Amino acid sequence: MNRGLDVLTWLVLLLMLSPIIWLVAASLQTDGQLSTGAYNLLEPTFTAFSRMWKTVDFERYMVNSLIICTAAALCATAFASCAGYALARFKFRGATGLSLGVVGTQLIPGSLFLLPVFMGFVWLKQNTPVALFDTHAGMILVYTAFFTPVAIYFMRYFFAAIPRDLEEAAMVDGCTRFGAFVKIVLPAAAPGLVATFVYAFLFAWDELLFVAALTQENAETIPIGIRNFIGNYQERTAQLMAAGVVSTLPVLIAFFATQRWLVKGITAGAVKG
Amino acid sequence: MAQTTLQPPPEASSARVLPSRAGRPRRRRNWFVYGLIAPAVTFMVLVHLIPTAGGVVLSFKRLNTFTFARLFDAPWAGLENYRGILFDTANPLHSGFFGAVQNTAVYTFWVVLGTLAGGLAIALLLNRPMRGQRLVRTLMLAPWIVPSFVVAVLWQFMWQSDVGIINKVLVDYTHILSDRPIWLLGGNSMWAIVIPSVWRGLPFAMIFFLAGLQAMPPELHEAAAIDGAGPLRRFRYITLPLLRPLIAVQLLFGVIYATYQFAIPYIMLGSNPGPDADLMMTLIVRQSFSNNLFGFGAAASVLLTLAMCVWVAFWYRAFKRDLEVT
Repeated sequence: MNRGLDVLTWLVLLLMLSPIIWLVAASLQTDGQLSTGAYNLLEPTFTAFSRMWKTVDFERYMVNSLIICTAAALCATAFASCAGYALARFKFRGATGLSLGVVGTQLIPGSLFLLPVFMGFVWLKQNTPVALFDTHAGMILVYTAFFTPVAIYFMRYFFAAIPRDLEEAAMVDGCTRFGAFVKIVLPAAAPGLVATFVYAFLFAWDELLFVAALTQENAETIPIGIRNFIGNYQERTAQLMAAGVVSTLPVLIAFFATQRWLVKGITAGAVKG
Repeated sequence: MAQTTLQPPPEASSARVLPSRAGRPRRRRNWFVYGLIAPAVTFMVLVHLIPTAGGVVLSFKRLNTFTFARLFDAPWAGLENYRGILFDTANPLHSGFFGAVQNTAVYTFWVVLGTLAGGLAIALLLNRPMRGQRLVRTLMLAPWIVPSFVVAVLWQFMWQSDVGIINKVLVDYTHILSDRPIWLLGGNSMWAIVIPSVWRGLPFAMIFFLAGLQAMPPELHEAAAIDGAGPLRRFRYITLPLLRPLIAVQLLFGVIYATYQFAIPYIMLGSNPGPDADLMMTLIVRQSFSNNLFGFGAAASVLLTLAMCVWVAFWYRAFKRDLEVT
């Protein structure tokens, strides 16, 4: 019976992975083979990978995505660490409001506040020297705000798991509260920081709606690159699949490098309630 | 460490005193707390709160192709947008809106059901000792890492009726179907977006449930087994009730995320997927940004938000007990 379930498990795994295997296999064909259905998986070729960089300016999208997502995930993690520490350690006026606000932000569809953000960016561009529309800074600002709420939940659980004695001991030894937070608590929460960072990074990498509206040329990220591929080059399926592989790789690497901490971060909240 | 056990903790007790009782040192400590939350709150106010209020204001404005040029002083429409959406049967937006509501409900229902049921099934399968357990658990998460815009283009290619791999497998290799279905148009297009969404969401649900299963004390199952309960009864009367809080959390956020899903339907089926698979988000974004009907988009977004608030209230009543237990 156990043996049967083992086989079933491997079969389910194969089924789950088959679209990804197919993505990689298709990216190793030529555009012509894919558009006629004449695949030959035994003769892989890398032409799609070398061509896709020129068909659309994929390098630019890639660099933009890396800059914006890294910066936004860093900022979100930093701000969420502070706020999460406050929620985990102190009772203060507005704590409940903050917690509710964090959940509340998840309830608002992007379509409701996208246009006002867009209008604000355009207004700033026309009336002030503040450049947010179609800039890295603008997208970093928006994504930082998006992923800070969830990151607060993450960090709050990680801080709650760290014993209070640690920072109390540090303060007895002459540290200030903030010093104890930076020197003692944050290092102890390092796995949580990494998990929060990667989680925010994964989600920022995925975002399409806001980047489509708030950028035009300079700060466009990979989802826009992929969309442009579909719009302008219908028959270049192999290149599109290659672009899919390339745009998955950074998040895949980030995920597998930090997988154990990340999974702990996702499930910590769940199991403790 | 030895020192701290001898003394009363110097900060912990006073730090949690409310500001109304604040003396000078305490007040300073409150400033410390507010300093900690200030950056996060500032960003949330600037990007979430103020623009959301702006969106609500826009829903009462008459914003269309003609008034868009002077956005800020567009004429007031009062409840016109809402009336047009909800009650004006002569308005084509009215039927489009309710079609999208229905489609969104169908899409969300199947995505959440498929994700939770499939995630739980896989978690149960992985919650047993086996060779290569760590590897299987890690690899099973892979679909969750694939960005949703990649999921969309990949499945769009897989669903192609003449050259797509799905029809090749179903028609040419296994002969399960005799003719080649068109997946991306008409009645099938809903499934064409539901299935990839479930596929991408499964791993996340799976880690949640797996964590829950592993936190479960094995004694309960052992005792029940001794009393003669079979695997099905143990699942029904022990596993499932203990997983209720996890199911509750997954349901809450699963419904919200599925309802607000945009990238997969938009990239797979385009900005106008047709009446069989037009979702609220694609409808709102299309009417706002392609047709410049921003007043309609804002009003529809407000209604969507209200629907989510109703869902949360309903959810809270249904699962209140589970939340208190944990």
